[in-house]
Amino acid sequence: MNKVITINLGGNAYQLEEGGYDLLSNYLDAAAARLHANPDRDEILSDIEGAMAEKFRALLGSHKTVVATKEVATVLAEMGPIEAEPGTSQPGTPGDVGATGAAAAESSNGKPRRLYRINEGAMLAGVCNGIAAYFNLDPTLVRLAFVLLTIFWGTGLLVYVVMAIVVPEACSPEEKAAAAGLPPTAQEFIRRAKAGYYEATKNFPDRKASREWGRRFRRKWRAYAGHWRHHWRDPWTGPAPVFDPRLSYWLPVLSLLVGMATVAWICTSISLLATGTVFGQTLPDNVPVWLAAALVFLTYGILVGPLKVARHLCYKSWGHPGAAGSLVFLLDAAIWFLVVGALLGLALHYFPTLREAVHNLPALAHQAIDDIRTWWNTK
Amino acid sequence: MLSVNEKFSAIRKGLLEFLVLQIIAAEKVYVADILKQLSTTQFATQEGTLYPLLSKMRREELLDYEWRESEAGPPRKYYKLTAKGREQLRETLEYWSEINETVKKLGQP
Repeated sequence: MNKVITINLGGNAYQLEEGGYDLLSNYLDAAAARLHANPDRDEILSDIEGAMAEKFRALLGSHKTVVATKEVATVLAEMGPIEAEPGTSQPGTPGDVGATGAAAAESSNGKPRRLYRINEGAMLAGVCNGIAAYFNLDPTLVRLAFVLLTIFWGTGLLVYVVMAIVVPEACSPEEKAAAAGLPPTAQEFIRRAKAGYYEATKNFPDRKASREWGRRFRRKWRAYAGHWRHHWRDPWTGPAPVFDPRLSYWLPVLSLLVGMATVAWICTSISLLATGTVFGQTLPDNVPVWLAAALVFLTYGILVGPLKVARHLCYKSWGHPGAAGSLVFLLDAAIWFLVVGALLGLALHYFPTLREAVHNLPALAHQAIDDIRTWWNTK
Repeated sequence: MLSVNEKFSAIRKGLLEFLVLQIIAAEKVYVADILKQLSTTQFATQEGTLYPLLSKMRREELLDYEWRESEAGPPRKYYKLTAKGREQLRETLEYWSEINETVKKLGQP
């Protein structure tokens, strides 16, 4: 009785006896090592995997589902050892050798990361998963950030949908490796393939069950979306709950508070971006400027969120649902914009540093992006 | 003493690229087709040699590939020659016939 190990080759699951798995693993490791100077290493390895998948498939049938160790050995003997330099008997020009050397140095410096959607272990379309892999973060944190963005600013959902459409999905092993910025060595291929396979089988006994789950999920989602489409106005247009009308006198105060918070946020951000300090207070060493800016933004959102809700309650208590209520809302929004605009104008007028900072904003944005990149790369 | 077969192993290796060009020139093929065509000749080879060779040739822009679905297993790469590859094949064929001429002519009275 032999233990069986399931692996993924070219997108299909194959079951190998443990001895066969070790043979295959050694073969691919040796191949990866011998091709280390080859700029096409990853591609050749995935080609080899594909070829092996075909050979294994030819061996299996409805009554035979496991590839035996001996069969793996036969297949590997058929494939032959991977040759490092094809056509070595051909005279290579010195320039040629130099080019290969440079390419090898480049590839050993680590693969550039690419943003992909990763479906393995994804909740929806794999956008958060992909971002987490790109920045080397916990996917749950990224999801939380998206949820917060959706709650406080409503932009998270929009960004998610756009990214789900725009960002390509990582399908091939190379793409999956590129998504995490890892060189896809054979060991890594096998580990990841196994992990992905078990992840899927843990939840679903078979393909049919998985499809059924997907169908049910989509149906529920559609029902929810349909309900939302028809009833999203209800909280606003339905009969207003009864509030003390005196609440409405707080409206201007709340607007002012929100306006001040906004101005404080904008000024703090500008100060951060322009000087790297919060009005002269230096940041702790390990906090980069962009992170501080993000935190300030988050704090602003958390502060302003309840204020906005309170403002909304004030409109309600005004007792003018429908068109009149909207008018009041528009009027208040206009006042709010005026206050913010005026305060900003004054700030710009009286603080030359702010004026300069606004002038330098495009350059700063570029620098900030570069900073983020280098910070994540060094991490 | 080395047999003729062994003596020519390096030359066969060098000629492989030329033969692969010729096979791909005839029709779009994938690796198993190439191996099958070579298997009955003196140039029989294995995936371990062919894949690195093909990727090198693609890097030199002699050939290109397209993905095609297959009923059995993962999608396959079907290779075809580029314009540069065809030009290289033409040059090599010319050179090869010159070599043949030389081999025949030399030492003949």
